Amino acid sequence: MTSTARRALDRVPVRLRRLLPSDLRADLRHRSGLTVPGDLAYRATPPRPAPGERTGPPDFAVLGAAAAGSRWWLSLIGDHPDVAPGHDSAAAAHFFDPYCTERFGPAEVATFHAWFPRRPGRIVGFWSPDGTAHPWVPPLLARAAPRALVVVLVRDPVERLLDGLDRTADARPAHPGSYLADAVDRGCYADQLAHLFECYPPGRVRVLQYERCVADPVGSLAATFEFLGVDPTYRARPLDPPAAAPRAAGQLDPDTLERVRDLYAHDIRALADLVPDLDLSLWPSAVAPG
Amino acid sequence: MEPPAALRRVLRRLPAPWQSALLHARGDYAPWEDGFDITPPEPGPDETVGPPDFVGVGVQKGGTSWWYELLLEHPGVYARPGIPKERHVLTRFCTDTFGPAQVAGYHGWFPRIPGTITGEWTPDYFAYPWVAPLLARAAPDARLLVLVRDPVDRFRSGLTFRLRSGAPNTSSTVADAVRQGYYARHLRRLYESVPAERVLVQQYERCRADPAGELAKTYAFLGLEPFDPPEIGREINVSQGGKLELDAEARARLTALYRADTMELAELVPSLDLSLWPSTSGGRPRDVGAPT
Repeated sequence: MTSTARRALDRVPVRLRRLLPSDLRADLRHRSGLTVPGDLAYRATPPRPAPGERTGPPDFAVLGAAAAGSRWWLSLIGDHPDVAPGHDSAAAAHFFDPYCTERFGPAEVATFHAWFPRRPGRIVGFWSPDGTAHPWVPPLLARAAPRALVVVLVRDPVERLLDGLDRTADARPAHPGSYLADAVDRGCYADQLAHLFECYPPGRVRVLQYERCVADPVGSLAATFEFLGVDPTYRARPLDPPAAAPRAAGQLDPDTLERVRDLYAHDIRALADLVPDLDLSLWPSAVAPG
Repeated sequence: MEPPAALRRVLRRLPAPWQSALLHARGDYAPWEDGFDITPPEPGPDETVGPPDFVGVGVQKGGTSWWYELLLEHPGVYARPGIPKERHVLTRFCTDTFGPAQVAGYHGWFPRIPGTITGEWTPDYFAYPWVAPLLARAAPDARLLVLVRDPVDRFRSGLTFRLRSGAPNTSSTVADAVRQGYYARHLRRLYESVPAERVLVQQYERCRADPAGELAKTYAFLGLEPFDPPEIGREINVSQGGKLELDAEARARLTALYRADTMELAELVPSLDLSLWPSTSGGRPRDVGAPT
């Protein structure tokens, strides 16, 4: 029934679906049992391990930030022959979503581990673009994968904000305040990293700057491979980031841009203390205008 | 415009998102919704407009409707009937231009008659970091009010309220409910734009225990004469029905999530009495109703 309804819905052209407000689309999904990753009622069954594979806690995690290149970087990591595939499953990415308000015990830990099959000699990773922005995720990940190595990508927060808003404009709800607050807060990396460091020692966390990855993908990827304990000399397939579409919303006027930059000034200073090798010259937001 | 009675009866039978969709089709939007027309009302013959004298900025489900009504009971406070408690005007200007025309538009939402003060209480403002700089620009002399409540109790009430109001049952809705309880983070940001002496932070639980004493503090902070409103203890807008059930293990994790922030809040607000908060005192959770 559900799969029939899902197939029927999939046949509805996207443009037609978007005629309905996002809140109504979500309500229809819930009533039809058509939950998707991100819905709290969504539950997926982990894949059955293939012969020769074993499951267990992920060896590494890439925790956002959203619209900061984490998916691109994960795809490059996943190209390495010593990294097991299946690392970018949306179902696994949203695994922790319901457990802010629900019990997270040994059974849930075991289910989480089942999402990470790998053959001997290979490592496997967890990816979540919400992993640092949803504060209940790092403590749960630390419980389920205490020895994981964690990679976090950060990007100029104003650029991240504007791109993030542009990419999610279709999902803007009728009540925009919480949507905008979420978008702003995702760029407050220092608050998120301070929380992450309560769950993982700083030595197990590598913070990468998106702009540096773009400028020097080979060197940055080699450093990432080295951090993850796989052969750093491996050269991944084409390294360029996905081409950025021009922002539909256009540019901010100077006064508004300054206001938005000021939102992050305190957090950027705190981030520079937490991540001493951060190169603030790569972030227009951190560079005083004119 | 209020929908006709027959439509209201139909709406009550529908799930919240469909109620909203039908109202939107008629052009009816709530102040917090994108489609709401923020053109201010025309001032009456005896009224003038200007920046608000006070703005309640937090927190959602922290007793703010009750406290706002008590403010309006004071003869020195003016509120024109029909103008909502929560203006939400500043919600819109995160990345939108906020120049002199927008400042004037905001002022237009605050008509008052001579000899009175006026203001609003939009509890969501506290968690919207772009609002404090806008307030500093549009209402530089306003006094700001914050009612805080045990963050875990607030989370339960806030999430229950949002889901009943039609918010999608997604991790984003939960994340928003969690975010609202990081009081110290929000207050720290507020203090970057507004001096601490122009902000009064009170505790909902203390207001419940001693409404007359706490209200006297609020009136005094706003420069109002002492006044004893009738029915001071009668809370309004208390949510009906059960609240989200939290598993004990999940509750303990939420308490841990808020611990560092709550300790920082206690430093920022020395008068805070953490023994009133079950999540920090180790006490049993109390069902104290679900105010707004």
